[in-house]
Amino acid sequence: MSADYEPNIVAFLCNWCSYAGADLAGTSRVHYPANIQVIRVMCSGRVNPLYVMNALQQGADGVLVSGCHPGDCHYMEGNFYARRRLGMLKDLMEFIGVDPRRFHMSWVSASEGHKWKEVVEKTVEDAREAGPFEGFRRRQIDW
Amino acid sequence: MDLEQLRKTAAEIVDRDDVKYLIGWKQGSFGYRVAPSFVEDAAGAAELIFSPLCTANLATYLTLVEKLPVPRGQEADDRKVALMVKGCDSRAVVQLLVEKGIHRDQVIVVGCPCPGMVDPALLAENYPETEEPAELKWNGDGFLLIRGGEEIKVARDELLAEKCRLCRYPNPVISDISLGEAVEPWEPVEDSGVIEIEGKDIDGRSDYWEEQFAKCVRCYSCRNVCPLCYCQDCILDRLNPTWVNRAVNFSENTAFHIARAFHLAGRCIECGECERVCPANIPLGRLNRKLAREVRDKYGFEPGVDPEAEPFQASFKPDDPEDFIL
Repeated sequence: MSADYEPNIVAFLCNWCSYAGADLAGTSRVHYPANIQVIRVMCSGRVNPLYVMNALQQGADGVLVSGCHPGDCHYMEGNFYARRRLGMLKDLMEFIGVDPRRFHMSWVSASEGHKWKEVVEKTVEDAREAGPFEGFRRRQIDW
Repeated sequence: MDLEQLRKTAAEIVDRDDVKYLIGWKQGSFGYRVAPSFVEDAAGAAELIFSPLCTANLATYLTLVEKLPVPRGQEADDRKVALMVKGCDSRAVVQLLVEKGIHRDQVIVVGCPCPGMVDPALLAENYPETEEPAELKWNGDGFLLIRGGEEIKVARDELLAEKCRLCRYPNPVISDISLGEAVEPWEPVEDSGVIEIEGKDIDGRSDYWEEQFAKCVRCYSCRNVCPLCYCQDCILDRLNPTWVNRAVNFSENTAFHIARAFHLAGRCIECGECERVCPANIPLGRLNRKLAREVRDKYGFEPGVDPEAEPFQASFKPDDPEDFIL
């Protein structure tokens, strides 16, 4: 691993809480690592577990999924489904040999700009420790 | 089980007007082969068998059957299908009912209590296959192999399939007609395959699966044989969006196996068919059993037991574990 290695993190944020939370962090001038690539989805329950797999395949070193706190979902129960599915995915990934530090899930509400900062710092820190993801990344073959 | 009773019952079932056919097992063309049989008349019923070689899970055929559009002026054939099931197969039927893949009144479940099946690969390895059809029977606490005129007694532990060693439901969970007497469930052994992988560290696991997945030729037999992989439009076949590329390399193979295992999380009934049909001998059962165990231990859910249950991934409990959340 080179010293100037910067991890690539893909973050799926729910429109109603986490995206607004990240927005609040921005308007509050909170500093957090710039390794995060945010993808806004309408609900964390909309995140197909295969998105996580696909992100890792296409070059991400870590994936973060963030939604509303349980009970606060804009769609009542979307994040409960997400919790169940992504929890299973985490177990499966770990069993297959993907470092558990590469996948995180969090609950960040629209008023938790500072929590968002902590979550991002933790995610980036973990991905940095785990190093570049070499596992089943799609390799470009030059013919 | 008494074969006479089985054949008589089967003949009675296919004789009914509201039954299309009965799916059972019959002697295959050679050696230890056992073939699925679609019985429509009494002659077919006389060929049915139930032996330790009937490993195939016939519940697959309930959803594999092609439903062609009905021509104008004709009525759809909505007669029932009768199906012979072992303990594990009956769980597949229950899971199909839970997911509304089939309707309860379209299927007649003929339950066959199962004292344990043999592993066909293990059998062919220890006792080479013959051209003549051979027979295998349950014999007290073991098996009796009848091959080329000689009778060989085989200990149960020598040939018992792995899925049967781990089996907790030898008796059908649901049945309309029960054949034979219920067997006493045995103590399942420790799942050594899963424990072996869990004992490795992350790199060890990743090396292990890299070696296994690199063997995959992407024939999709595991998907096709699975009684619970019955989507008309499978994501693995889709080109837009392309979830999994068709290239056969380690990256895409892993993606395929993650997708396959994940789609069976909380649904797999551990019939071991994927493992049996795999031409590359990838231990797919370990993936499935690991997830099944997580679902059982963490979420207290067991698929294919209660026909009234909610599907695992389409339901939730407010107190699901969330120790992994930051």
